[in-house]
Amino acid sequence: MGAVFAKSDSPSPDRSPSPDWLNLPCPVKYDEIQRENIMSLKPELFEGLRFDFTKPLNQRFSLSHSLFMGSVEVPSQGAQIIKVPAAHYEFGANLIDQRMMMLIGRILTDGRMSARIKYDFTDRFSVKVNAQLTNEPHFSQGMFHFDYRGKDYQTQLQLGNNAFYGFNYIQSVTPTVALGGEVFWLGHQRKSGIGFAGRYNTDKVVATGQFASTGIVSLTYVQRVSDKVSLASDFLYNWNSKEATTSVGYDYLLRQCRLRGRLDTNGCIAAYLEERLNLGVNFLLSAEIDHWKKDYKFGFGMTVGE
Amino acid sequence: MVAPSAAPQKAGAGASGGKGWGRGMNFGSVTGTSLTDKARRAASNTARFSQKLLWSTGKAAWIAGTTFLILVVPLIIEMDREQQMVDMESQQAGLLGAPPLPGSPPAVK
Repeated sequence: MGAVFAKSDSPSPDRSPSPDWLNLPCPVKYDEIQRENIMSLKPELFEGLRFDFTKPLNQRFSLSHSLFMGSVEVPSQGAQIIKVPAAHYEFGANLIDQRMMMLIGRILTDGRMSARIKYDFTDRFSVKVNAQLTNEPHFSQGMFHFDYRGKDYQTQLQLGNNAFYGFNYIQSVTPTVALGGEVFWLGHQRKSGIGFAGRYNTDKVVATGQFASTGIVSLTYVQRVSDKVSLASDFLYNWNSKEATTSVGYDYLLRQCRLRGRLDTNGCIAAYLEERLNLGVNFLLSAEIDHWKKDYKFGFGMTVGE
Repeated sequence: MVAPSAAPQKAGAGASGGKGWGRGMNFGSVTGTSLTDKARRAASNTARFSQKLLWSTGKAAWIAGTTFLILVVPLIIEMDREQQMVDMESQQAGLLGAPPLPGSPPAVK
């Protein structure tokens, strides 16, 4: 308040140390505050072969075909890792209108189907729908997101099946710091939770901290060393199991390729290389090694189109 | 008194007869119990320890090597390629852009 008065008292706000408190920038959405970290540290690693092909039919409409052959890990209670060979083909249709609408549908040969809809009613209010249908019972899900973007805040209401309700709000406090919170209620499991998050964002550094009453503390830090290189690290602590994990990684965005590497305290190392062979043709190499479990995953793939 | 009586017993148990042989061995072992046994124990300990050390260094080397292969080798290769491309481009720019560069200042003036 005092700062606001001080600012309005001084006729020429040329001094950089006192920011314009009434014109703070709009923060990042609450569920996307860790996006830089996720982009650098969590690439889509896979094992086996992947081939993705996207064919645009006109400016808005495109079809996508994607093939996966490899092995998929089956969750097991023992220390041993069980892998099952798997292969599927995915057909997708995308309708993307730059201005207001996005419709994406996917269908897999094993019977899974998913749809995503995003519709902007105005430039501030938008609705997102995610739906997933499977042939296993109780795994299908649907989710509605209602987003409202204010001048220096963002808020979102979430409604899902199994009586899931959530609400979050994030507000810019200074030009670089945004603070937010969320509440959610899982009706079927009779669980509720509350979470808080903060994000510090400058041109060079993105640091976030998040805490939820489910017992998860998550801290992330991304440092942009140059426009090509960024280094990222994160720390995750689970209060219930008293387990902590830290990982560090690099993200190199070169002219012909993007290379991401990660090393974490579980003895797991991973690297993901996207090499651009030609315009619209990308070659993927994915590697993940778990030294303690002796689990080695290597994959290669191609992406054509886009 | 006790030691000589105990020694033949031991020899008899160990070599089961064969008096001369047993006595010879006996004599050696009586003085050497402390020496050869100690040496043998030390040797076996050293062997076991060095085996363990070798094995764990081998494992550490394996982990370090594979980690290096996955995380650092691709980075070196890609950065080298990038550098080569930059060099080639600057060379091309030098070849193509060299005549205009000295020529352009007079053109501006």
